[in-house]
Parts: sequence; C-alpha cells; structure tokens
Amino acid sequence: MAAVTHQAQAIELSGSRSIEAANDHELLAAIRDGDEVAFQEIVRRYRNPITNFVYRMLDDYDRSVELAQETFIRVYTSASRYQANYSFSTYIYRIATNLAISELRKRKRRKVVSLFSPFANDDGEAIELDPPDLKVLQDEALIENERRRAVARAITSLPEKYRAAIVLRDVEGLSYDQIAETLKLSEGTVKSRINRARNLLKEKLSAYI
Amino acid sequence: MRGCNEIRQMIDEADKPELLSFEVNQHIRRCRDCETFADQRAGLRTLLASGTRVTAPINFDAVLNARLAEVKSRRSFAWLSSAGYLRLGAATAGLVVMIFAAQYTGLFSRDAERVPAPQDMAAVAPKPVPLRPGASTVEPPEVQHVVASVPRATIGARGGTPIGARVMPRGYSAAEDGGVVLVRGTNGEMDVPMPTVSVGAQPLLYVSAGKQPARGVGASF
Repeated sequence: MAAVTHQAQAIELSGSRSIEAANDHELLAAIRDGDEVAFQEIVRRYRNPITNFVYRMLDDYDRSVELAQETFIRVYTSASRYQANYSFSTYIYRIATNLAISELRKRKRRKVVSLFSPFANDDGEAIELDPPDLKVLQDEALIENERRRAVARAITSLPEKYRAAIVLRDVEGLSYDQIAETLKLSEGTVKSRINRARNLLKEKLSAYI
Repeated sequence: MRGCNEIRQMIDEADKPELLSFEVNQHIRRCRDCETFADQRAGLRTLLASGTRVTAPINFDAVLNARLAEVKSRRSFAWLSSAGYLRLGAATAGLVVMIFAAQYTGLFSRDAERVPAPQDMAAVAPKPVPLRPGASTVEPPEVQHVVASVPRATIGARGGTPIGARVMPRGYSAAEDGGVVLVRGTNGEMDVPMPTVSVGAQPLLYVSAGKQPARGVGASF
C-alpha cells in the first residue's frame, strides 16, 4: 500500500508539479525511482540545518561538513527502505544524530586525558572543568565572539545524551515529540534530559544570561 | 492551584516563553522565584538560539556528488572488494579440500562398489597357480570372467588352446580399472617378450603364454 502511494507521488512529482513544490515524502519517492534532481532538492533544503546541527554537536566545522555529507549519502542509499511513518526531518536528524554521537564516542576513545578531566557529573560521567568566565570585555565584537565560544564550549562539555536533546530543542527548534522520535526515546525522557541540560548550561553560562 | 514545581515544569516545556498560559503568567507575577526561573530559562534559550548558525560550504554539493559517485561505484563492484575476494578464496579453498578429501577416501572410486562380501571372498579365493618352469602346456587358472572391453591379446599357447580374451583369476582386480594386462607369450613359434608396462597400482594379471603359466603380479607402477 505504501509502495503504491509512493509510486503515485512519484508520478505526480514527475508530472505537472515543480520539484520545489513537492514535499519531502514525494521527493524521497522520486529519489527511490532514481531521480537525481529530487535528491539535489533534498540536499538544498537540509544541508544548512544538518551542517549546523552537527557543528553544534562537535564544535568542529570541517568534520561537521563531512558528516553532513555522509548523512545525505545514507539518505540516498537507504531511500528504498525509507518509510513515511514519521516526518522526513525526524528521519534525517536521526541519521545525523547517530553519526555525530558515533563521532563523539570515537573521539572519547582516543581522547587525551586533560588536567581538568577528573571531574564528574551526577551520572558519574567525566566532564571537563569549565568555570564561567566573569571577566568584562570592552569590545563588542570580542564580547560577541567570546559569548559564542562560551556557548560552544558549554554545549560540547555536556554529556552526549544531553547534548543531542538540547541542540535539537534549543538550537534546531524541534518539538519534543520530534526529538523523541529522532532519539528513539519517550517524550518524558526527552523532557527530563533537556531540563538537566539547561540546568548544567545555566551554571556554565551564568555570566551571559 | 498549581505548585511552583509544576509551574516551572510548564515554563521549561513551553515551546515559546511568550506563549505561557494565563495561569502560569499569573503565578509568575506573584512568585519571585518562579519569575527568576522563567527569566533565566528565557535568557538561556535566547543565548543558545542566537549563536551564529554555520552554513554548508560552497563546494558542499560538488563534494557530496563526488562522494556519492564513489559510493555508487563501490556498490556496483562490491563483489570485487577485499571481503568479496576473501569469500571467493575461502569458497575455492573449501571446494578443493572437499575434492581432495573425497578422492583420498575413495568416494569416487568404483572399486568400493566391487568389494565382495566376506563369504564371497572365500568362495572366489584364487587357486594357487603353480609356477612350473619348463612346462610345455599352459594350465590357465580358473576363469572367473572375461573382459571384452579392452583390446584382446591373442596368445598362442604352444599346443594349447589360444587365449582369446583377457582372463582373470578369482580374487584379482579387473584390468579395466586402469591397469594394463601384461602378456608375455609367443606369436606362433616365437617368443614375443612384451615390455612390462603398467599403469596404476592394481594387482595385475601376469600371463605368460609360453613356458610359464599365468601368475598374479602384485602392484606395479
């Protein structure tokens, strides 16, 4: 039944409607039929949000771009297995989240022990000491730059389970149910993690709030 | 009447701080702690959302298409990958080992089908063939069976009955299994020594049509 629906959408897409007007599910159905233009449209729609999301997770632009591209490659290669039960944005964010978390775990394994590492959070996970910077900066540009760096440092110092949830919520603006679908968690767990993440960030960024 | 914890949870879970319900706003006006909490949460969310959003680089699509083309070509020749080679090599090695094992255990040999039962072995035990040098007549061993599929060797026995076919005493292997019947005998009145050529390792019948009677010969190469 789903296949018939996708086929109908693909036919409709190749007919009178323009590619820009097609929704994500229609584009995926067209990609499944080998439509390269539909894939380019999906890339155009999501390349910036996905790159930004991965960047906020990793704080490493070059690697973020690579992982964003890997996300689109996976979308393309697994288009035949895509099921339109959820929104496509949830689907693609899930792929990107999994790649970002996998990258964080790889980095954690080869991480050099820092002098600030012996600190742990309530869950027993090692966290780096990142005391709030209370210095007053005179120059606005410097202040803005420092604020951005402080936010990035604060986010990357969060445990990965909190990091994905808070970035999806407060940076990317996804709803709780979308985050729950993306992370394959219950909505209650997502709310709890976001609350914990905000409490941790509030302590780290108290100088900027 | 909702408590502070419940109100703070509602503040925290609100999609937008300005969209809080009337009840929550009323509570915030009355409760200083909840007001502080709401301000902090709003400030934090603004701070997180206000950070510069990075964008994909200009060559994002070009690099992506190149990587995608590489992935497609890899998928087309996936069977030629190192893992594919390993699988192919392992399968070939396994096949070769199985063939050798089958040959070594005689699975393909027809001899296994011809092994007579023990009682038959006793019944067909060959009579000892006396070797009598200088004997003028040939006493052929008891003929068990005649194999006509191989070229016949006509052996003119001196004064005896010519042997028109290869004869096999009881208990000897058949020559069609790959062996060659060696015949030494006479052609008319002349002794025709035949070279002792044999193939295989089967016990062969050694027939002398001249002065020597037929006798069994062991394995020869």
